[in-house]
Amino acid sequence: MANHATKKNNKYSWAKFKKDFGGWLIMLPGLLLFAFFVWIPLSKNVYMSFFTTIGFDTDQFAGFGQYQRVFNDPEFINALGNTFEYLFWSLIIGFLIPIFLGLLLSETVHFKGFFRISIYLPAVLSGLATSILWAYIYDPNNGGMLNTILQSLGLDPIMWTNDPQLAIPLIVVSMTWKGAGATALIYLASLQSVETTQYEAARMDGASLWTRMFKITLPTILPTISTLFILQIISVMQVFYEPLLITKGSSASMSLLLLGYNYAFDSKYSGTGLGGGGYHSTAGQSAATAVILTIIILGLTAAYFALTKVITRKKK
Amino acid sequence: MKKHFWPTKPHQLNTKNDGLITFIDYKSKRFRILYGVIIFLLLVAVLTALLPIGILFLSSYKTTLELYATPFQFFPQLFEFKKIFAVWNEVNFGKYFLNTLIVVIGAAFFAVIINGLLAYGVAIVKPRGYRIAFTLIMASYMIPTVLAIVPLYQSIVDLRLINNYLPLWLMFGANAYYFIIFKNYFDAIPKSLIEAARVDGASELRIFFSIIIPMSKSIIGLVAIFAVTAAWSDFLLPYLVLQNSDLQTIMVLLFLKSSDAQFAPDKLLMLSLISIIPQIVIFFVFQKQITGSTLNSGLKE
Repeated sequence: MANHATKKNNKYSWAKFKKDFGGWLIMLPGLLLFAFFVWIPLSKNVYMSFFTTIGFDTDQFAGFGQYQRVFNDPEFINALGNTFEYLFWSLIIGFLIPIFLGLLLSETVHFKGFFRISIYLPAVLSGLATSILWAYIYDPNNGGMLNTILQSLGLDPIMWTNDPQLAIPLIVVSMTWKGAGATALIYLASLQSVETTQYEAARMDGASLWTRMFKITLPTILPTISTLFILQIISVMQVFYEPLLITKGSSASMSLLLLGYNYAFDSKYSGTGLGGGGYHSTAGQSAATAVILTIIILGLTAAYFALTKVITRKKK
Repeated sequence: MKKHFWPTKPHQLNTKNDGLITFIDYKSKRFRILYGVIIFLLLVAVLTALLPIGILFLSSYKTTLELYATPFQFFPQLFEFKKIFAVWNEVNFGKYFLNTLIVVIGAAFFAVIINGLLAYGVAIVKPRGYRIAFTLIMASYMIPTVLAIVPLYQSIVDLRLINNYLPLWLMFGANAYYFIIFKNYFDAIPKSLIEAARVDGASELRIFFSIIIPMSKSIIGLVAIFAVTAAWSDFLLPYLVLQNSDLQTIMVLLFLKSSDAQFAPDKLLMLSLISIIPQIVIFFVFQKQITGSTLNSGLKE
């Protein structure tokens, strides 16, 4: 690229060339790795979704064939619905709690460090280990913690994560347990940027606590609320470990991402297990599922940006 | 930022002059009761955060029979501290621990060097056309990379890197989040300093290693801590790449044991506990850096 630029611009000096060339040279290792780990696999995925596959290799051009196969698969339709159900419950259960916690944290003068560090801790733990823990807590069979407690109290056991109605909300509870504290600290940072003078002015005008909160605090942190809203949507659409480990990939909890992974690596689907590969491999279906999920996520992100644009324009 | 942690002098409600509620409000009894409610709610939140970890600890010390027993007992009847070593030896945990250390150290190294260089290029050198690179990197921040696991796995197979740590290390060199952390930090470095070195004829690489790195120790430490924690927890790619059990990491072991019906549930909980103890230790040692970074970032629009 730097070479190319030298020809175009006559005034292009040796020093400038050295800077451009050196700059790209420095960025090269990173760009190569991004290409290998992110850009090429993502593009290959799109390419692969238009082909039939043998093992993990593309075979014949199939047009939208893989997409048709996927949309005719009841498991895919189920996972698609489930993924939006995850989104729904995560907004109901998980969205307001961190805002509330952030508000509480910003008003404390005692045990500040203790509160912050304790509620942050679950976020740094391995998702695999905490999912095993929640699998034990929710286990509907003998030996599950919650059911043992219910039985001790003389109550009937509950099916917990085996209950199709409860599986997703319970998984969302465990995700909220893990993530809410870390998110609350982001809100706390935003809350600390509210000018003290603003509160003082409002108090002079005799504004009550609620007026101050709704007229000053919340409007100031609104950009953070809005950014974290879309980040939460993006991340919950990719739920993967929790249904894999807490419910062992039951159909009531199956997410799109997990299904896409299973299409490629689970021997249940036409023998394409790890290292193996059958002729009618479902790797193409896996690619199509990944592309569909990407489109949904990009679509939601685009809708979010369009909406925020309309809202800010109306305000002006 | 520092003053928010471990305050140097005891704060009192009647001197609190920042935030939504101040000392003026706390003159009234209603607000002092409200403050009590705030503290109470936070104690509930802390309890909720810590209780499951306590449950993990206590349950892992129960016998399988105790786990199934009613009435439910919070504490194991016999607290044998040695059990943690028994499980450690049974699964040959030491081997997995070493393997994980190898993965984690390599991952932290590449996370710092590669993302650091990339961010230096984008934030400071800014060669012609750097915006293309920047846009592509930011786009990968939005698009989940797990989605591309199949073609990635295929490329790794093609390059004969199965049962090799290299892909697990290098993957951390392509991390948009670490890149953004570095870029935000480098953006704030005064340009005059770098210009001076450039006039003296120093190469970009030399400027990076002799000026930028010494100035950025705190942020390098932060990215290293993040990479260590993330690489420790990372499961999917290690599971696919490390098929030889002599090379597998703790998380791969934990996953394999979680689907092994022969492995007793109390031992599985103990294994989960052992695998997160290093993370808890790292967190407590570096708590200020970790929570402080969240507070500092403030998620600018």
